[in-house]
Amino acid sequence: MNIKSLGIWSSLLLALVAFSSCGVEENKSKVVINEILMTNETNFQDDYGVHSAWLELFNKSYSTVNVAANLLRCSDTPGDTATYFIPKGDVLTQMPPRQHLLFWVDGKPNRGTFHVNFSFNADKDTWIGLYDSGKHLLDEVRIPAGTLKTDESYARIIDGGNDWEIKGGSDDKYVTPSTNNKTLDKNEKMEKFEKHDKSGIGMSITAMMVVFVGLILLYLVFKLINFAGTYHAHSKAGKTKGLSPEEVRAEMRKGDTPGEVFAAIALAMHEMQEDVHDVEETVLTIQQVQRRYSPWNSKIYTLRETPHK
Amino acid sequence: MGEFLDFLQNNLADFWGYTGIANATVGHFVMILVGIFFIYLAVAKEFEPMLLIPIGFGMLVGNIPFNMDAGLQVGIYEQGSVLNILYQGVTSGWYPPLIFLGIGAMTDFSALISNPKLMLIGAAAQFGIFGAYMLALALGFDPMQAGAIGIIGGADGPTAIFLSSKLAPNLMGAIAVSAYSYMALVPVIQPPIMRLLTTKKERVIRMKPPRVVSHTEKVMFPIVGLLLTCFLVPSGLPLLGMLFFGNLLKESGVTRRLANTASGPLIDTITILLGLTVGASTQASEFLTLNSILIFILGAFSFFVATASGVLFVKFFNLFLKKDNKINPLIGNAGVSAVPDSARISQIIGLEYDSTNYLLMHAMGPNVAGVIGSAVAAGVLLGFLI
Repeated sequence: MNIKSLGIWSSLLLALVAFSSCGVEENKSKVVINEILMTNETNFQDDYGVHSAWLELFNKSYSTVNVAANLLRCSDTPGDTATYFIPKGDVLTQMPPRQHLLFWVDGKPNRGTFHVNFSFNADKDTWIGLYDSGKHLLDEVRIPAGTLKTDESYARIIDGGNDWEIKGGSDDKYVTPSTNNKTLDKNEKMEKFEKHDKSGIGMSITAMMVVFVGLILLYLVFKLINFAGTYHAHSKAGKTKGLSPEEVRAEMRKGDTPGEVFAAIALAMHEMQEDVHDVEETVLTIQQVQRRYSPWNSKIYTLRETPHK
Repeated sequence: MGEFLDFLQNNLADFWGYTGIANATVGHFVMILVGIFFIYLAVAKEFEPMLLIPIGFGMLVGNIPFNMDAGLQVGIYEQGSVLNILYQGVTSGWYPPLIFLGIGAMTDFSALISNPKLMLIGAAAQFGIFGAYMLALALGFDPMQAGAIGIIGGADGPTAIFLSSKLAPNLMGAIAVSAYSYMALVPVIQPPIMRLLTTKKERVIRMKPPRVVSHTEKVMFPIVGLLLTCFLVPSGLPLLGMLFFGNLLKESGVTRRLANTASGPLIDTITILLGLTVGASTQASEFLTLNSILIFILGAFSFFVATASGVLFVKFFNLFLKKDNKINPLIGNAGVSAVPDSARISQIIGLEYDSTNYLLMHAMGPNVAGVIGSAVAAGVLLGFLI
């Protein structure tokens, strides 16, 4: 591998980084506003038996999130925004992974943690925002005036998804307070596998490609590191010998001296030193040798013997 | 007096109802015999004793018959029992990453770093996983179960347990026992395949001695390895993350105590718990099913395919290599990541044909690459199927 190919591989690596999706922005908030019902006549009742408007939050992450001290804000008149501080100290504000939390928008906060201090007016353009305790906007929804009829909700098609729809108008678009907006009654992924890749060949080819790509990448990087390390070592040695870069490269092409050669040289030197001793040392030194653990010197503990016949 | 005798009689009858003898079934005895056979293999034949002893004894523990309706909280599947608590490390999949931490801390990747092209052999041997996956699908398993069964071909017990706990928890006992059994049988399974697929001339190929690997390269390997593999397959993170972390502890040279703990007491503790609970999970009522038998057949098949694909890949690879750079195909079997057994098989078979041709160091390259490869394959299956 020469400097040119080193450059090519480095450029490829940079291109890989450049084409990654680092720059793509998306809503990173764990909790989002998931469904809103503005006029409730026959829909879900609250714990007082009252049909009130409601809004649903959804924890789209796979960890528990506490929404206590978060803020729910609502405005249907420019310059006039109501704010509800979700109280602290109620264990029910902990949202388990992929679960929902329903707030009654009835303007009666004295009825409990989940009754907010504002109400909706479906005849006006409405904006609803969810803020964290640091007053950073986590999610917001705008519902134009007259969009929702009685007992209709404005909801994300899939929990936590980006697309919204109006629910309640038909049997397949039903209002879903405190439950999944779309019930997954089948495993689509598995069905796709069973339909398109019954024999598993597609999966096998794809997966083996990924395995090979992973290990080929590792191979290339270490080839590169190997080259860089060898070049560095040779150029250092070359400097001491006063070699030109061309001569250093020529040395490199000859390859590394195998460890066995060094071992043979060391052995020969040791033997020679032993031979030239005419006076034996009279000082006995006992040195404790500490051997670092290695699977090579502890086979007795970790390996088994091949079965004896 | 008569009442008292009745009372005693009833008590004894109740006691009899609780005994193992009263609750035993043929299945229990079959599994107990299998457990004893495992212990025999470990003690008499020294086949993977550190795995087969805990698993074999676990089979005895898990197959002591008892009255399941009595709520004694002794069975491994009874919530709150001691065995059930220990088993949670298996079901929630945190034993395998800890084992990988220890493996990383005791593995020397020098052979692989000095000759990185050996990594490709580790990748090729993963064909066994997908061969078994396809066969499992053909036998009627669903894709998730097939994926969990296929990973037996990765020849990596912790990986098999990790993946099956996610994809097919109900098959985990059979998959784990099958994976460990075949790992123990590597010296029996691999040599005939290796001999069948190689010529005498190929078996005596001498490979260049591996170059000396610098400390910097050794330290860089786990860092680069983690970044490259996990950026590609993030679902392999629990296994690969721990494997490379353990290796960094070893190679950094400044965390010797941590490396010693990870590669010694920690991995030993987890191996004991993992082996015992996996063995105990083979309760006859859950384990003795047609599926378990099929899993054992598929496991054997995956080992055959993995070994053959490793050897054949080396032969194919040799077509593109210079004459003095050829790889001995006897190290192809080592892509099956049963560390270090399959590498030792390469060495033993190699020495049979040339008593001065030592292949162990060369075979360790694909062997540890196989560990990485099977963890990547598990990550891919997890990513695709969940």
